[in-house]
Amino acid sequence: MPERSNNDVNVRKGLAVFLCACRGQISKKVDLEKIAEDLKKNPEILIVDIHEALCSREGQDYLKEKAKEINFERVAVGACSPNVQGIIVTRALEEEGLNKYLVEQINIREHCAWVHNDKKAATKKAESLVRGAIARAEKLVPLEDIDIEILDKALVIGGGVTGMQVALDIANSGFKTYLVERSGELGGRTYKLSMTFPTHNCGICCMQYCKECVFTPKIEDVQQNKNIDVMLESEIEEITGGFGDRHVKVRTPSGTKEFDVGTIIVATGSKTFDPKRIPELRYDLPDVITTVELEQLIVEQREKGGGLKRPSDSKVPKTVNFIQCVGSRDKNKGNLHCSLVCCTYAIGQAREIKRMNPDADIYIHYIDLRGPYRGFEEFYEAAKEEGINFVRGRISEIVHDKGKIFVRALDTDADVLLNIESDLVVLSVGQEPADGSDAIAKMLHVQTDIDKFMKDINPMFPSEFRRGVYVAGTAQGPKGIRYSIEDAKAAAASAIELMRKGNVKFPRIVAFVDEERCRGCGRCEKTCEYGAITIETDPKRGVLVSKIDEVLCEGCGQCAVVCCNKAITVNGFRPEQVEAMVRALVEEVDADV
Amino acid sequence: MSERFEPKIIAFTCTWCGYPSASLAGVNKIEYPPNIRIVRVMCSGSVESAVIMDAFENGADGVIVIGCLMDDCHYVSGNKKAQERVDALKKLFDIVGLDSRRLRTEWINASERTKFAKTVTEFVEEVRALGPLPLELAKKVKKERTKEQTVASVKQLIEDTGAFDCVECGKCTTVCPIATFDNSFAPRTIVLRAMEGIVDNIANDRDIWTCITCEQCNAMCPYKVDYSGFIRGMREEASEFGAAPSCSQGGLIHAVQRIMAKGNLKQRRLDWVKKDMKVADKGDVFYFVGCLPHYDAIFYESKDLRLQEICESAVRIMNEAGVVPVVSNEEKCCGHDLNWTGDEESFEKLMEHNVELVKKSGAKKVVFTCPECYRTFRADYQDLMGDFEFELVHISDYIKELMDSGVLKLDDRAKDEFTFSYHDSCRLGRHSGVYDSPRELAKAFTGAKFVEMENTRDKAVCCGVSAWTNCNANSKKMQVDRVMEAKKVGAQRLLMFCPKCQIHMKCAIQDKVPVDPSMVDVKLEDFTVAIARMLELLPEEEAE
Repeated sequence: MPERSNNDVNVRKGLAVFLCACRGQISKKVDLEKIAEDLKKNPEILIVDIHEALCSREGQDYLKEKAKEINFERVAVGACSPNVQGIIVTRALEEEGLNKYLVEQINIREHCAWVHNDKKAATKKAESLVRGAIARAEKLVPLEDIDIEILDKALVIGGGVTGMQVALDIANSGFKTYLVERSGELGGRTYKLSMTFPTHNCGICCMQYCKECVFTPKIEDVQQNKNIDVMLESEIEEITGGFGDRHVKVRTPSGTKEFDVGTIIVATGSKTFDPKRIPELRYDLPDVITTVELEQLIVEQREKGGGLKRPSDSKVPKTVNFIQCVGSRDKNKGNLHCSLVCCTYAIGQAREIKRMNPDADIYIHYIDLRGPYRGFEEFYEAAKEEGINFVRGRISEIVHDKGKIFVRALDTDADVLLNIESDLVVLSVGQEPADGSDAIAKMLHVQTDIDKFMKDINPMFPSEFRRGVYVAGTAQGPKGIRYSIEDAKAAAASAIELMRKGNVKFPRIVAFVDEERCRGCGRCEKTCEYGAITIETDPKRGVLVSKIDEVLCEGCGQCAVVCCNKAITVNGFRPEQVEAMVRALVEEVDADV
Repeated sequence: MSERFEPKIIAFTCTWCGYPSASLAGVNKIEYPPNIRIVRVMCSGSVESAVIMDAFENGADGVIVIGCLMDDCHYVSGNKKAQERVDALKKLFDIVGLDSRRLRTEWINASERTKFAKTVTEFVEEVRALGPLPLELAKKVKKERTKEQTVASVKQLIEDTGAFDCVECGKCTTVCPIATFDNSFAPRTIVLRAMEGIVDNIANDRDIWTCITCEQCNAMCPYKVDYSGFIRGMREEASEFGAAPSCSQGGLIHAVQRIMAKGNLKQRRLDWVKKDMKVADKGDVFYFVGCLPHYDAIFYESKDLRLQEICESAVRIMNEAGVVPVVSNEEKCCGHDLNWTGDEESFEKLMEHNVELVKKSGAKKVVFTCPECYRTFRADYQDLMGDFEFELVHISDYIKELMDSGVLKLDDRAKDEFTFSYHDSCRLGRHSGVYDSPRELAKAFTGAKFVEMENTRDKAVCCGVSAWTNCNANSKKMQVDRVMEAKKVGAQRLLMFCPKCQIHMKCAIQDKVPVDPSMVDVKLEDFTVAIARMLELLPEEEAE
């Protein structure tokens, strides 16, 4: 591209200020006219103007028109949050050829007009904020986005119901997919379930590991898909590299396999809570079992006929107590979160026992019944009609006395203490992140929740763009099969979209090194959570210098802060840019411009 | 004025939680005082102490840093680091007198709009109750300065520093530690440019800031040109045009010093004085402590610095000799760093304050542990104010004096056998001519073996950084080289008086080094502390 001389009419120069009235939302509380008047005293600002709604179609056209007319280079916008409508404003200006990194939008709506009732004070603050934006805009530096190439291969971690679905969707779109599963078989926990909500059983025979099972063809599909490389009994050893090109090392029974992928879908699933952690539930007794164990009992014994028998003495249990929320909704004894699926599966199992042992007395002890799924209410009503007893209240303890098990519980509805002799106790165990998911999260820099499940960037938009890494299924938190599949499909679609594009533009809000200032101490390397920084020897000067991998850098700026010489700074947040803004913000507004 | 004080408060909010929580407060129309100005940063962990200090220097009355909930940082650990940093800065605030209550952190989830509004409302009221900071604000308007004025000043400077006598022999360049690593740098050429009247570029001339003013050149110059003095003057001229060096710690240290010059804040800088130490408000001997109380808060990440041991040692040694020194809570920075970075105005304010303080104490003698403070009083203050009536003495000379007069006994106390060397700091050696006393004191370590390094006394190699400016890979090389020199002569310990030499050299060897780490395996120690330890006046060192 030939260099443009300063005489070129197309060279943009100078600063424009646009204030948005937000159809009265801002202008009602902030005297924009006064601010504009004050700012107009500054001869260096090319235009100060107020518009009804910059984010509207008309507003965008207006911005474009002004940008054509005046040829300003930098823009300070006083409007709403730059994270929301700001994107629209910036995009409009960018379309007119402005560098988007030279646009600074300050929030005078949420952070001012909407929270201050005194118009005079709000106006004063808004003016100060706009001046801050101007000061910052003047210090901004034009930048280009980072162009990132995306390899057309995917890695799926976990071969449960979610991982399989992801792998199938991606592979069927024509992309090579590596599916890594820790255990010796595909299917995960779902494969061990005979009755799943809402159909209650698979509709054919409900035999575990049954070839007729609706689930089995999926496993076959995965195994036979030419685009899927299934690695069983395999574990992720290491993942290095960054967005678009990650290098994966997998430990497989036949040695370490290495390959590169462009997208990664984490479907590591969850594990069930270990009830040994709550001793008063007496999981040590043979007739106190978890719902997972009950599922196996049901599957084994349903085939044999003659009803369900309990493990200790193979007697048909008369009284069965289900205890809900084992390890869930109690931070002191387990986890704070609700495991979401336990109410549903416990009712399903209770109904199945009732079917196998029609004379059984079944109690479900619950805190709240939670089943926010279509069909749950009918499912629950049916269970009640079948004679299953629902008891609201917590279990105080399980007592083993003279070979008998007693469940001591509070019925909060009747306000009575119950002491139920029980032949079989079933613990509805909740879910926790699968073992090792922490390590995967760390490797891929996926944020985890307080309960260590992996977190979405935006809780309202699943599978939001996360540098080519998506989390699906119960790795994100407990959820039903149907919802895991939905996750899987969404994640697969996102990954496919990314790989089809082949490359993406990524904002250059990343750290960079001024090598002349760098003394190679390595504090940045130590502090970086993303492995984006390495200290290398500069052979010419014989000194150590810090090198930053722009693709790995997430732009948090922690390296910049520990750098004692400020050799590292983050684009868009250089100290002089932040300082200029802060200085303007603390300046008296009444002073002359 | 009966009007209510309206504090100006900056809220640094992270992109992921702090900022959105404020936006949600807006969406829900939860009112809070308009004193809060929100500044978005990527992560609470990216808020620099220097930027916070800059806010206060320019008129902020309070700063709050708001990030994600603990253990829920979008960037893994940013908020934890922010907490540590702000905690350390709070300590510094209390020492300087800015009051740590003006500084706060809060961890708020993106959805916690009410908590946001509540927190900032509380904070505004807290700061309102504290009242305005008695600080003179940074001047906005720069004096207009003409080229003629600059040319005249530079001419005067050339005369004052004897630069006219330069015969362009280039000896200065051969000894210049910067020129060794950066062959584009030559002290001579800066003088030449100035002599030829070229001052147009003075605002952008990087070379005048690159010099570390170690005075190697002064010592070597056959015509005794005061090259460092010339540089100092040039910096003053350059700063008239807004030129500034690249400062360590983002300029935090200079900001603290300027703040001391800007107002009389209620400092709390004597926390290091322990109950069993004897100090006075008035007396014959004034101990000028310098920046030592600040450093542990500034370098909070370097746990092995413990620079307050230096002042503790000095007082304990004096006490041992029966001297009860005056130490003052009102002492301010000597202004060395500002003086050497062109801020004459702040420097003079600090000077006047400190001299007045010493006079008021009735002291006949001022003792310094810091070579920079010593040089500044001895040379720069007296240059401007004329000779003082009180005597100025460096701790090395003073301890020697106490030994000679028999009130302090050092010998026969050393127990450990070790080999050690002594690093002549530029401000003490070349700038002030103190070479002998440290070596006399070294003899007192009877069980130990004292060795000299290759470059010693007026040839001593610099610690690489001066006045907290222009630190870079070359500085590090000098520091590493210096420590390697000690290692080469078999020293296990390297003693020095200057706290900054110690900070710089420790910084260089504590992290990654461009050489085999065993080559810099030397324990760096303050001389005064080493003496106090030998005298068993300090608690035993904790095993590392």
